[in-house]
Formats: sequence, structure tokens, C-alpha cells
Amino acid sequence: MMAKTAIRKKKPALTLGIVIRRAILWGFAVWCLFPIYWLINMSLKEAVDAIARPPTFIFIPTLQNYIDVIQDPRITKFLVNSLIIALSATFLGLLIGAPAAYVLARHRFRLDSKIAFWILATRFTPPIAMLIPFFVIFYNLGLLGTHAGLIIAHIGINLAMIVWILRGFFQDLPRDLEDAAFIDGAGRFQSFRRIILPLALPGIAAVGILTFLSSWNEFLFSMVLGGNDVMTVPVGIYAYIGFEQIEWGKLSAAATLMLAPVIAFILLFQRQLVRGLTLGAVK
Amino acid sequence: MTMATKAAAGSAASWRRERGYFILMMLTPAIVLLTGLILVPFVVGFGVSFTDYILSLPPAQFAGFGNYLKLVSTPEFWDALRVTLIFTVASVALQTVIGLGLAVLLHEETRGVPVLRAIYLLPMAVTPIAAVFTFRMMFNPSLGVFNHLLVSMGLPPQDWLGTGNMALFSLVLVDTWQHTPFILLIIAGGLASLPGEPFEAAKIDGATPWQIFYMVTLPLLKPFLAIALLFRSIDAFKTFDIIYVLTAGGPGTATTTLNMYAYKQAIEFVSLGYGSSVAIVMLAIITIVTQIFLRRSRLLTVAD
Repeated sequence: MMAKTAIRKKKPALTLGIVIRRAILWGFAVWCLFPIYWLINMSLKEAVDAIARPPTFIFIPTLQNYIDVIQDPRITKFLVNSLIIALSATFLGLLIGAPAAYVLARHRFRLDSKIAFWILATRFTPPIAMLIPFFVIFYNLGLLGTHAGLIIAHIGINLAMIVWILRGFFQDLPRDLEDAAFIDGAGRFQSFRRIILPLALPGIAAVGILTFLSSWNEFLFSMVLGGNDVMTVPVGIYAYIGFEQIEWGKLSAAATLMLAPVIAFILLFQRQLVRGLTLGAVK
Repeated sequence: MTMATKAAAGSAASWRRERGYFILMMLTPAIVLLTGLILVPFVVGFGVSFTDYILSLPPAQFAGFGNYLKLVSTPEFWDALRVTLIFTVASVALQTVIGLGLAVLLHEETRGVPVLRAIYLLPMAVTPIAAVFTFRMMFNPSLGVFNHLLVSMGLPPQDWLGTGNMALFSLVLVDTWQHTPFILLIIAGGLASLPGEPFEAAKIDGATPWQIFYMVTLPLLKPFLAIALLFRSIDAFKTFDIIYVLTAGGPGTATTTLNMYAYKQAIEFVSLGYGSSVAIVMLAIITIVTQIFLRRSRLLTVAD
């Protein structure tokens, strides 16, 4: 690290400019972290501490909120719903999206650029413009308030993104791979399944995580299409804010549990995720 | 490798024969689903916007441009459009200035960059509802930590969500917390991919750091700035979660954006026909702005 720095910058002496720069960069990091810190802070407070005036930074932490949350059958139900929906939408989305992305990355045909643009354009559509017809269609098909309905909706929200980002990953794989498979006498399907897919696995995993997070975090469609029958965690938390306004500690614990997988994924896979989170703009 | 044992001679023909079938099999499920889940709903929504459809009332009647005429003569619609534009422009402008500045600083930084990047990533991945819930606690006038910090610094406490202007400001603040990293990361990625020569040349010519920033860095960053601005503007334009949970469009209608307005009409008042027409107008605005933007910046060549 030191050697590398020494080559790039002639002298890493601590000038005033560097001090100011670091102060700004770390100051912004504190700003990014503060709400997350505060949420966890609140989740560890007893009811009295949670509504203390002025708010306390130092207190005796308790895990009681987490125990309450885990023992609350309604909240565990939300968690199970969220998991079922996010995992199903991710699995099915990848199953359908990956082959299409590969074909779009490798084969030039007349509609190619049109399909790609169309896929990107779906991202631009305001969710409410999709939500109303979904509501009308689901209402008539009896899909409101069902797991299947929400899974279908979440695939619809994410499929374009899955195809778009995976296409970028497939494009980065060298073309020699297919040539080698061809010379070895493998069919197209075989070469896709046995050679391309395993090599694209890091990219597929990254897109899978992004899809999972997108579904896990989704609120509007889940609230309207799931109703009171199938509540996901974000919808459940929102409902709680309304009813039990002052139970900040317990709600914070539920919200922290919801954030745990998000933060774990980000810290473990940040390199791969940056590309997806910036929609392929950053490689 | 069992594949190698197969006759190579026959495979060339079979690869060519397989091509059309392969593309069809691989592409069809996605096309069918995208059609079913995006094109069909879009057509349905477009159709509904020309009816007086209200859920569970007698069958919808064709209403022609009735909803659209009602729309342009409703003050609430124009109000919502104004709020949406203020929110979008204020949020994106603030995030661009902060994101660009921080990206340049981060590019210069030599220590702790991976840690900083990981921290910067968190707000944009965090569940919006959880983040907004936290901000709601922090904005609380009497129990919230923001007013506590203000008072302990000798500043007057604020009624963060109580007045129209403050509520709009607070929404911009939350949006900026969550989405500045998006712009920051795209620009930082852009900076990392720029060639070194123009900077060397400018330095040899004796340019000051500010001159280098304005005359070299900024022009070279243009395509990355364009992508960041376009995506962010569209997302800000259709913001829902933050507004719904933090202010629900209030106080009064001070923070009712087009998206909130469409939601209230279509879902809360189950006036699906009218709500759809608002959504279609939103889509039209986004499409027109995007088309102009893409044409002027020739962005698609970069996005490819």
C-alpha cells in the first residue's frame, strides 16, 4: 500500500489540503452512516429511553425489542412472506432473463437494438402507470392478496433490469469460448449451459442479489397488490408506524432485521454490485 | 470431456441449423413475459385512462378525452406538477453538486478509499421504508435527534414536517441522503476511466487545479454526468415511498407530487380511469424529456 502510494503521488506529506479533503470525505461517510446508526441505536433502547427528552446517545442496551419482534407472529409472517416472494421472483427472473440476455449479447439480428432500448425504456415508466393496470387485471383474475400475484408483479418490475445488466456481463466474456465449444462439437444449448453459464456465475450472482434486494425493498406494488392478506416487511412496518406510533424501539428492531441482509450483501459483494446499482454505467 | 468425442465435422452444419431455434427458445420466455407484464398492462392502463372506470361500480363507460380535459382544468393537477418539478430539480441539483465534488475528492484520495466506497454504497441499497421510518423519528419536533443536535449547537429547532416549505425541504434532504451516492459512484467510475494525457498536458501548461477542473475534467466527464442526471431525474420525478411515508403529500397538498396525486385518485378514491390519465401524462412527460435528452447528448452510444 505504501509503496503504491509513493509511486503514484510523489510525497504523501499531510498538507492542509489533504486534511480538508479527508475531513469532507469522512464527514460525508458519517452523514451516510448516521441514520443507520440511529436506527440500530433506537432498536436497542428500552421504551423509556426511546422517548427520552433529550434523546440519549448513551444508555443500557437491551435486546428486548428483538425478542418481542421475533416472538410476534405477525412480524415473523411478514418476514416469511418477504422471503418467499423475493426468492421466487429472483429465481424465476434469472431463469427467464439469463437466456434472453445471452442471446441479446451475442447475436446480431434486426430487432436487437430495439429490444434493448425497449427493455431500458421500461425502467423509465412511472410505477403508478404499471400499478393501476396490474390492479385492474389482478382484481379481475382474483390475484389480489396472493403470493403468486406479488411474485408475478416483482418479476415484471425487475426482468428488464436483469436482462439489461446480464447482457453487459455476457458481452464481457471472450468469444473464443463459444468457438472452442463449437470445435469440441458441443451444441449451442450445451455450450451455453456448460461453458457460458458457469463462467458468468459471478455476474449472475450479482444480478440475483440486486433482484433480491429490489424485491425485498419494494413497497408500492406490495402494499396495493398484497393488501392485508400478504404483507411484506416494508408494508408491515408501514402499517405499524400508523397503529403503534410510540413503539419506536420495537419498530426499529423490525426495521434493523430487514436491513441486515441488505447491509451484509453490500459489504460482501460491493465490487460486483456497484455495476448493477449504477445500471452498468460503472464497470 | 465427453463433448470432445463428438464428431466435429457434423457440428458446423448443426450449429448453423440450430441458430434460429436456439434464439427462439432462449428469447421467447422473456419476450412473452415482458409483453404480458409490461406491454399488456401499459395498453390496459392507456385504455382505462379513456374510461370513467371506478372500481366495483357499474361497468365502465368510454369517456373519450374526458379525463384529460378534467385534468387540465383541475388546479390540483397543476399544483402537483409544480411540486414535482420543484422536488425533482432541487433534489437532482443538490445531489449532482455534492456528488460531483465528492467524486473528485475521492479520486484524489489515497487512503481508505475501499472503506469510504462501501460506506457510500449503503444509503442507496437500504430499504427506503426503513430509512424513511428512521428519518421520521429523527424529524420528530420534540423527541427527534435533529432538533436536539440543532439546539445543542445553539440553533433554533425546526418543525421539519409541519409547514409546506419545510416538509418539501425535508423530503429533498432524505432523497439527497439516499441518492447522492448514485451520482457519486457513476462520476467516480467515470473519473477512473479517463485517460491521463489531457491532465498531464494541462499541468505542463501551468493550469491551476480549478482551471483543470473546468476545462479538462468537466468536459471529459460529460457522458457520465449525462447518464447520472438522466437516471436520477427520472427516478426523482417518480418518487413515491419517501413522500408517502414521510408526509403522505401533506401538510395539505404541499408535497403532493404527480405520483402521489395519481395514487390518491386511483387507489384511495378507486377512480381508476382518472388516475390512469395522470399516470399516462407522467409517462408522456418522461418520454418526451428522455427523447430530447438522448438526442442532444447522444447518450445511447455510451450506454451501449
